[in-house]
Amino acid sequence: MKLKRLLAGVLAATAALTLAGCNNNESSGNSSSSSSSTGGNSSTGNNSASGNSSTGGDSTSDNSSTPAQTGATLYDASKITDGLTLNVLTNRTDLVDSGYLDQMTDAFEQKFNCTVKYEGLTKYNGDVKTRMTTTNYGDVLMIPSNMTPEDKAAKFEPLGSYDELSKKYLWMDQHLCNGQVYGIPHMGSVDGGIVYNKRVWSEAGITELPKTPEDFIADLKKINEHYNGTVIPYLTNFGEADKWPLNQIWALSDSIEGDPEFQTKILTEKSDLLTPGNGYYESMKFMFDLFSTAEVLEEDHMTSGWEASKPAISQGKIGTMIMGSWSVSQFKEILTEEQGGHPEDIGFMPAPFNKDGKQYARSAADYAMAVNINSDAAVKELGKAYIEWFISESTFIKDQQGLSPLIGADMPDYLTDFADCEFFVSSPAPDALQGVFDEIDKESEVGTQNQDAANFKAKIAEAAFKGEGEEAFKAIVDDVNKRWAETRDKNEKYIAYHNANG
Amino acid sequence: MSANAKQKRTLGEWLRGYTGQKYLTTFFFLLIPIVLLLIFTLIPAVNMFLFSFQKRDQLGVNPEWIGLNNYITLFTQSEYLSTFKNCLYYLLGSFVQQALALLIATTLCSKLKLANVFKGILFFPYMMNGVAVSIIFRKFFTKGDGIISSEGTLNSILSIFGIPGVSWLNDPNLVNWCLVFASIWKYIGFDIIMYIGAIQSISPDIYEAADLDGANGWQRFWYIVFPGIRPIVALQLVLAIKGAASVFDIPYIITGGANGTSTFVIKTIDTAFTYEKVGLGSAMGIVLLLIILIITGVQNLLFKERK
Repeated sequence: MKLKRLLAGVLAATAALTLAGCNNNESSGNSSSSSSSTGGNSSTGNNSASGNSSTGGDSTSDNSSTPAQTGATLYDASKITDGLTLNVLTNRTDLVDSGYLDQMTDAFEQKFNCTVKYEGLTKYNGDVKTRMTTTNYGDVLMIPSNMTPEDKAAKFEPLGSYDELSKKYLWMDQHLCNGQVYGIPHMGSVDGGIVYNKRVWSEAGITELPKTPEDFIADLKKINEHYNGTVIPYLTNFGEADKWPLNQIWALSDSIEGDPEFQTKILTEKSDLLTPGNGYYESMKFMFDLFSTAEVLEEDHMTSGWEASKPAISQGKIGTMIMGSWSVSQFKEILTEEQGGHPEDIGFMPAPFNKDGKQYARSAADYAMAVNINSDAAVKELGKAYIEWFISESTFIKDQQGLSPLIGADMPDYLTDFADCEFFVSSPAPDALQGVFDEIDKESEVGTQNQDAANFKAKIAEAAFKGEGEEAFKAIVDDVNKRWAETRDKNEKYIAYHNANG
Repeated sequence: MSANAKQKRTLGEWLRGYTGQKYLTTFFFLLIPIVLLLIFTLIPAVNMFLFSFQKRDQLGVNPEWIGLNNYITLFTQSEYLSTFKNCLYYLLGSFVQQALALLIATTLCSKLKLANVFKGILFFPYMMNGVAVSIIFRKFFTKGDGIISSEGTLNSILSIFGIPGVSWLNDPNLVNWCLVFASIWKYIGFDIIMYIGAIQSISPDIYEAADLDGANGWQRFWYIVFPGIRPIVALQLVLAIKGAASVFDIPYIITGGANGTSTFVIKTIDTAFTYEKVGLGSAMGIVLLLIILIITGVQNLLFKERK
């Protein structure tokens, strides 16, 4: 009897606690998310004024090597108190588990006398979005994809004005709302690149990297003939449950087009999303042609996957994969020399397209770091300091071989094949069209950035695998264009823009 | 004396007494499941119902009330309801599954050595996690290339008999049947146990009488066993239809819905979470709920008739 009573009491207490916990979360979430968005602006305004003094005070730290020391800092050092704890959410679970991030952050913890706690989320994008319906989503986090500018303004602390920050950092147009920047990319990568095994390509007798899609496929056929079934010339990674590897091919589009205003022009010139000759169409046509060439691909697309591909390309069992530059360090690190890998064989080539002989490569931003608008004022300042430290002083970008968001920083050394390429950064959409591309994209369920299996990219890939030919490709393209145009013509911002600009 | 004592008892004393303790314990024990049910089932269900009349994204910033528009979209644009056609594969498969389960159950109920061992083995897959089953079958159907992946289980067995490997999951004509096979493998154990239970509840006297009359095995099944278990057969078929309408885990993990294997639930998840139309996704959830309610209604009618 006593035991029963005790048990009942304990259970009831836990139930009551859970209930109370839920209620707390919900009520505080509602009140604070709406109220504090205006307060944030003024605090960043102060930053630029007091910023110089704070860098002066930190003269002991060895940050003189970074190129862009001029200009304002993001944070106000006087507002940061001792002994704070900063919670950082990250998509890099591998680096959390290996202890790399903790070790890297020691310097920051010493500098600001604080504790930084990392939390890695395996399905980052979805998980963070779910958590963002509450106020408990870390202090510093990566902005998940497909958020509207208004949502960003409601959930994140502004870091500074576009005019100010764009003098110092690249990609400042990515997370913009009303002239305020809400996130700074933690590093960048080159879209429009292809990872390949140098040894496999050269042993097959290929001396010059392809500059057209036809040459690229011909080279893969050459590899296939040379190795006669012992090497997979191209791995699709189609077996990944979400079809993100196809998005890597879509990411070639801007580099194929070579125009900083490509995405905006789709809207301003009222053109179809996929028009023969434009980058989006060409990247998809390239994928279709490549995936239709069954002999250069792996046999079972439905079970081919990313984790297995990493050691295989290092060992020279796979010739090629279309992946952004973010992947290069992962391929190089997966196997050491002793484990039978050849990190030095991993190469990275530009997209096999040219305009009058000139190749282009767009450098683009990875996940951007932002500060939770619901955190305490001092923690927010510390968060901003962390972002600045991460980009300007930490070894992360160098270790990960990413591109630095700082204007004028050195390029990583694996980009030797890009010597003749012209790099560019996409320019922001005009204010009136801010976020419109994404709105149309989501509303029409075209999903240029989505990874589901019902996506048009997956449909094109499947049609190619089945060998259905040009007609099937055209049908998918027409369907995408139709859905895009229908939704676009109903979009209020789009209509307003064209009414205003004739 | 005792009556006097009763009147003087305060609330605290009453609570410490036998009746008070009985009520308290009952109350607190029931409180927990009810609170859990409220938090994790009923409140979300009511919210889902409300969301289905809204246009809202995943973060739920400024949702907009749009009346029945989500339902109109759902029933006018073919891409949503058309995903039900893949459920037909599972429905067909479930008929095969019922027949097979009945056959196995009848066999296990005859005088068979180690019948309980077989029952255990056949029931085991049902207890396994759907995710684990899916991962097993993903490997089972793999077509190896000898470079980065080795041959899957099925192709390895076929190769012993000299049959060349088949690319099971890549062939659009085969892939859905492969998934149905995995589904049958997982769920048949439950059906077998249900049928065994029903068959064993038939009185052995009837069999004895049938033996005396010289009935053969088929006659025994058709005239004694089948009429005896008809309500269970009806129940199983209704459950099978429900299962086919809401099939999710096996295709989602084995193929991710690619290669023409998407189902209504996968489409719902994509709509709500990758395209972030939470309102429309909720409406799809409500439609599925209604379909299942209707099937349950039909099931109840059938049972009333039997009684």
